[in-house]
Amino acid sequence: MTTFEGASRQPRGLVRHVGASWMQAPYPALVADSSGGVVEANAAATHLFPGAVSGAWLDHVVPGWLADAHRRAGEEGQPPRPVRGRHEDLTLEAHPTVGTDGDIVWWLVDDTDRLLAETALRSERERTAFLADASSRLLASLNVPRCMEVAVQLAASHLADAALLVMPAAGRRHPIAASVGGAPAEHSSARIDPSAVTGLSEALQGFPPVPSRWIDPATLPDWAVPEGFDGPAGSVVVTPLPGHGIPAGALILLRRGDHAAFDASEEVFARVFAARAGAALSAARMYAEQAGITATLMVELLPPKLHPVRGVEYAGGYRASRDTERIGGDFYDVHPGAGSDQETLAVLGDVCGKGLDAAVLTGKIRTTLQALLPLAEDHEKLLRLLNGTLLTGRHTRYATLVLASVRREGRVTRLRLTSAGHPRPLIVRRSGEVEEADTAGTLIGALPDVHARTAEVLLQPGEACLLYTDGITEAKGGPLGDVRFGTRRLREAVADCAGMPAEAVVERVQMLAAEWVGGRPHDDMAVLAISVPHSTHLTAVDGRTPGRYTT
Amino acid sequence: MTTVPDDTAPDETFGLEVTTGEERDVRVQVRGDLDHETAEELLEAARAHLRSDRPPRHLHLDCARLTLCDSMGLAALLLIHRHALAAGTRLHLDNRPGMLEHLLELTGTLDHFAQAEKGGDDRPAHEDPPPHSAAGSPPPAHPG
Repeated sequence: MTTFEGASRQPRGLVRHVGASWMQAPYPALVADSSGGVVEANAAATHLFPGAVSGAWLDHVVPGWLADAHRRAGEEGQPPRPVRGRHEDLTLEAHPTVGTDGDIVWWLVDDTDRLLAETALRSERERTAFLADASSRLLASLNVPRCMEVAVQLAASHLADAALLVMPAAGRRHPIAASVGGAPAEHSSARIDPSAVTGLSEALQGFPPVPSRWIDPATLPDWAVPEGFDGPAGSVVVTPLPGHGIPAGALILLRRGDHAAFDASEEVFARVFAARAGAALSAARMYAEQAGITATLMVELLPPKLHPVRGVEYAGGYRASRDTERIGGDFYDVHPGAGSDQETLAVLGDVCGKGLDAAVLTGKIRTTLQALLPLAEDHEKLLRLLNGTLLTGRHTRYATLVLASVRREGRVTRLRLTSAGHPRPLIVRRSGEVEEADTAGTLIGALPDVHARTAEVLLQPGEACLLYTDGITEAKGGPLGDVRFGTRRLREAVADCAGMPAEAVVERVQMLAAEWVGGRPHDDMAVLAISVPHSTHLTAVDGRTPGRYTT
Repeated sequence: MTTVPDDTAPDETFGLEVTTGEERDVRVQVRGDLDHETAEELLEAARAHLRSDRPPRHLHLDCARLTLCDSMGLAALLLIHRHALAAGTRLHLDNRPGMLEHLLELTGTLDHFAQAEKGGDDRPAHEDPPPHSAAGSPPPAHPG
């Protein structure tokens, strides 16, 4: 059962060798001679090109690209190459083989599915690459406005002609970021009615998006069409930005009327992108909230700026642990008494632990101490009251601190020093001798009862007292980074500070400790120096017979 | 006065070893650094015994292999002490290394722990005695 018999020409050359089996081959094949006439076409080829019968001219029955390729194959002396072209809905690949008599067999392969698959694969790859890029760019910033900018710019350059990001209302206004064609985003804050855009109020509540075809672009309010978007919107997508628990906002994508409308796969992809943008925005917002809380607490906990009070100099230094997100730990304050002849209360302390708990405890101690200032005459009593305030059944977080009540009495300055479980203050004499104040007491906030012994110390002009936290003495350094700075090194350091003003003492101690730890991690370090200036400064002393004690 | 002997001590990872002896005595050997990362573990181990129906008569924390005790570590010891007092258990900090002794001394808590070892009878007069009648629990045994 061959159609050979009815053929007007006799099969020649290659065709003869192939025999009749090719006529039933599932792939189209046709033979043409050097003059461009069809010699033979198999059933599949005739199905594809209905006019391709023996004797017909190729030019009349096959697409131009194939006829051209056949002509070129005849002209060139070298073996012809495969060609590719379209025929109706199909993409065909035509592979030529040359017979000895100049006939060429064209084997045709339907390439359509492979091309479609390749196109789909390429677009999937592009989307994946875009998503990966988008994620890293979105997550690069923990700043909410910046994150909004990145999201709309990415959306407006890859997904649509323009994009708007509408955040949940802050008060009555919705923060909005918009970009046209990937241009830098514009921020605004507007009192808008989300229900004016189909699906927007739902998206802002985190409900799934409505299909794009439900949204009539003609009904978009003015605010939903960014400035610079030329021409009316042809299609619109509104999709929610899912956050952590609560919606992070909604994304509106616009395409111009002369561009293709969003298809189903693009809508799905917009949701995938929105999920990433939502996660990034939500993270940024939570970070901003946390940073806000930390900043508020930090302001309360920042070491105060110290000034000379009634002829005595005070200087403080604080070097926080590099563990930046952790706050709290060490603190110091100087409270001048109400009257000119009253003592000044200086306090330096160290709260157990870190983080918010420690910060709250620090705040509590500083506030309570300020309230108890009138009772500073009796340090032990003051500590007992403070202890009672802080004591709780829930935990045994405690604080250790040193109280220093200071009063200049003419030439000498009288200090009452009390340690509550804290390293004892150091006294630097003019001779360079360093003494430890003889005070001891119980830590505050953990035990039902506390005791303390107050030391009284007299400072001459040029002498100083140093309060410090164990962050200094415990700081690990040295050649191998495993040796503590220790009390001995600290005493040597302050011995060199004899006669120096408080500020210089603090600077020197801080510098040596910083050198000791180098770049290594360390705990909070706080120092507070109290110094009595040399008598030449006496004219500045609280109006009591100025200059009387000059030497 | 420098105390740096523990600087040369070899690093030891934190660990607890609990042994229960006769007469409801519990011994916990504490190894390594007791700090903000490990204090909770010791606290939980101690609580498990102190909150049981029959709390131990003595709780010994063997500190011989303790390499460091920071402020959170001391806070944990103070809390264990508080729980022990409530449970009628005597807390002993045994084989204290120099740095722990120094820390307890500095923070004024040495006496506090010493009283706990001696038991309720020797508590200072200003502290309320435990409510013997109310709970119906027997008075603490006399030392010696």
